[in-house]
Amino acid sequence: MPRALRALSVVVLLLAAAAALCAQAIEYSRPVETAPQQETIGGGYKTPAVQKPLPRGWWLDILDVVLLCAAMGASVWIVIKRRKRRWLVGLSIASLAYFGFYREGCICPIGSIQNVVVALADPKYSIPMVAIAVFFMPLVVAVFFGRAFCGGVCPLGAMQELVVIKPLRVPKRLDQGLGLLKYVYLALAILFALKPALTRDFLICRFDPFVGFFRFTGAPYMLATGGVFLIGGMFIGRPYCRYLCPYGGLLSWCSRLARKGVTITPDKELDCGLCTEACPYGAIDQMRAVGRKCLYCARCYASCPCDGELAQAKKALVGIGGAQ
Amino acid sequence: MSDAVSRRELLSKLVRGSVLAGMGGAALFLVKKANGEIVWQVDASRCVNSRLGEVGVEACTLCTSECVVSLSAVRAVNDFSKCGRCNVCPAYFDITSAVNELGLPSQKLCPRDAITRKMIGAADPEDPANNFYEYVIDEEKCDGCGRCVMKCKAPLGLGSITLKVRYNKCLDCNRCAISLSCPKDAVTQVPKMAGLEIKLAEHTE
Amino acid sequence: MTSAQLRRAAWAAGAVILAGIAILTADWVIASIRAPRDDRTVKALQQKVKEDPAVSAKLDAEQKRITDARRARRIRDRAVGWTLIACSAIFLGAVKRLIARSAPKAVEMSRIAAPISTGKKRKRKRKTCCGAHAHDPAAALDLGFVDEAVAQHGRGREAAIPLLQAIQQHYRYLPDEAMRRLCEITDITPAEIAGTSSFYGQFRSTPVGKHIVRVCHGTACHVAGARQISDELRRRLKIPEGFDTDADRMFTLEEVACLGCCSLAPVLMVDEHTAGRLTPATAAAALEEVEEKEPA
Repeated sequence: MPRALRALSVVVLLLAAAAALCAQAIEYSRPVETAPQQETIGGGYKTPAVQKPLPRGWWLDILDVVLLCAAMGASVWIVIKRRKRRWLVGLSIASLAYFGFYREGCICPIGSIQNVVVALADPKYSIPMVAIAVFFMPLVVAVFFGRAFCGGVCPLGAMQELVVIKPLRVPKRLDQGLGLLKYVYLALAILFALKPALTRDFLICRFDPFVGFFRFTGAPYMLATGGVFLIGGMFIGRPYCRYLCPYGGLLSWCSRLARKGVTITPDKELDCGLCTEACPYGAIDQMRAVGRKCLYCARCYASCPCDGELAQAKKALVGIGGAQ
Repeated sequence: MSDAVSRRELLSKLVRGSVLAGMGGAALFLVKKANGEIVWQVDASRCVNSRLGEVGVEACTLCTSECVVSLSAVRAVNDFSKCGRCNVCPAYFDITSAVNELGLPSQKLCPRDAITRKMIGAADPEDPANNFYEYVIDEEKCDGCGRCVMKCKAPLGLGSITLKVRYNKCLDCNRCAISLSCPKDAVTQVPKMAGLEIKLAEHTE
Repeated sequence: MTSAQLRRAAWAAGAVILAGIAILTADWVIASIRAPRDDRTVKALQQKVKEDPAVSAKLDAEQKRITDARRARRIRDRAVGWTLIACSAIFLGAVKRLIARSAPKAVEMSRIAAPISTGKKRKRKRKTCCGAHAHDPAAALDLGFVDEAVAQHGRGREAAIPLLQAIQQHYRYLPDEAMRRLCEITDITPAEIAGTSSFYGQFRSTPVGKHIVRVCHGTACHVAGARQISDELRRRLKIPEGFDTDADRMFTLEEVACLGCCSLAPVLMVDEHTAGRLTPATAAAALEEVEEKEPA
């Protein structure tokens, strides 16, 4: 075999030389028929292993799910028990950093709608366990506590939550009308996901306006759309969540059943309406929180003169001063 | 009054219970179907760059341009057990370029200079053709453009270089952006373990 | 951080954000214009190399340039991306803080506060009956305005309230002299004027200070220590018990039920400006601020 090799290579070289003479590209023919193995090469040569980047460890997937659970637990605890807006902002930033920038927008319950739909319809489709867990957990939490996932956990929501500067009140009719859009989007996403495998399309993932920011890349038009959503989000609270997010539609159905949730304390209130003013999402109707619209941002608590951190701090101050 | 309240409580409890049961049932049904993780994979026998018979064509570079990850999650991998370790590697050199004083093509094929050429053992100046070379593709530089893959196959090479997904970079998108535009539907979802095996082109048309 | 610093930070961060977006857009535009052109050049050079090996160096350089440009763009875009994130954090933080600070001064706040504070009859009445100190020495009141007002609103009983309002707006209270003049030139009786002006909270018969200070004593502010604020202001302005205006006629102190911005408790309004989250010290400072602004 080495002999044949040698002969072939010589031919190649000769051809190369000829080519060099007439300043032409070499005529190329394959020098070897089979790959030389380490025995043929000799000299103690060892064939190196093929470089294979391994997939993420299974335990990292489980960690994701555990973190999602923990974040939702924290969201419920902060909003329902502690009633602290500041902590929730902290949780939002943490979720944005982990689920958003570190995990680059996947794992995402919003996109998992499609996986679940496809898995239910297509017997050959194999759905990852993580997707199942990620799809159902926020819904189960919503059945008991409302949309805790939207509050401090969802990276898309957190991003919009943090940019709200001066929210304008959306007229009620318009708000309701636009709110129907998300169901249209949900129906479209399901329809496209139900198509046969080759023409199947995952609309929600494809037209996710914020995922491009997490990945620092993306189709220019999607990045521009995301920018528009963020700039609009400064003045209209969380436009994507309220009007487009299909998972938000599912969550708002589930949260109708929730017995606990954000409450405006009826026994302490002043009827001052500051919470209604403070809610950027129009989720407080006649001084009562509307569970299916409430996005767990805890702004109402922060603005409350009777309850929440402000009042707690004031009470502590007055207590120290020994006044009255 | 209290009667009405408790009836309402009961009703809401019932509804909540049934919704939870429904979700649990659906989840169970899905869990039964879920047979392990799946990953995206470039099927070497379908990929334009690696499948046999497509010679002299420009390499398809969609894996570089379409991937949503900034440096594409697809890269070229050299299977050393199949590599001819040629003196003049058609994937390393641009064999259409002019020949230099060493008798080697003057141009490299890789636009990112990601392949390194290293002599194995001692050089034999008398008989350079007898030298073997190890070609290693730098993982950090390669962006999976597939030019080397196009060249390293019959009749020029042995087909040891193929495109592979780097699973540490791949985001496992629901619908891989490359698969959307792949002309031969070579990017497919396979069970995780199958995705890790290196697959060489066997398919011709 | 002072407001000026915050504002500067917000402007700077905003400018950097705009610049970053401009860089990204320009990068994208340039790249999408260049890509096909580069492809063409490389292909042309590749063709040429086959005929003339001397060109190969040029091709080499060209390919290296394209690769370097692409890699540089990726690194640059990532850096710009992180800068954008950092700057938006600064921008949002600064703007939110600024808005939180300026909120009490916003128009809507005074809109909420005004009708509530003027509508509190009980408090006003109390002051009306006990605020007889510091009589106006400038007795030479120009009563010409009363005549003008009568000419405008009419002389009948039905014009009593508009007349009183106009007079109060002009003199800032209802001077006795003006009331007497009013009785002389209209059909309204002194009893009617006294009854009307003492019934409505909006009328006052004692001179007021240049600025009206309304200290909120609503539930939230009460809990947060409105009493101390009022006491401190009284002490500072040397207003004796039973009176509401200081000797210089600079400030008139009022205790109102609710200014409608309980979240800022304890809160006070100096004319149309609201100051919230007060301590006795900052409350006094708020008044001093107004005094300093005075052109006098």
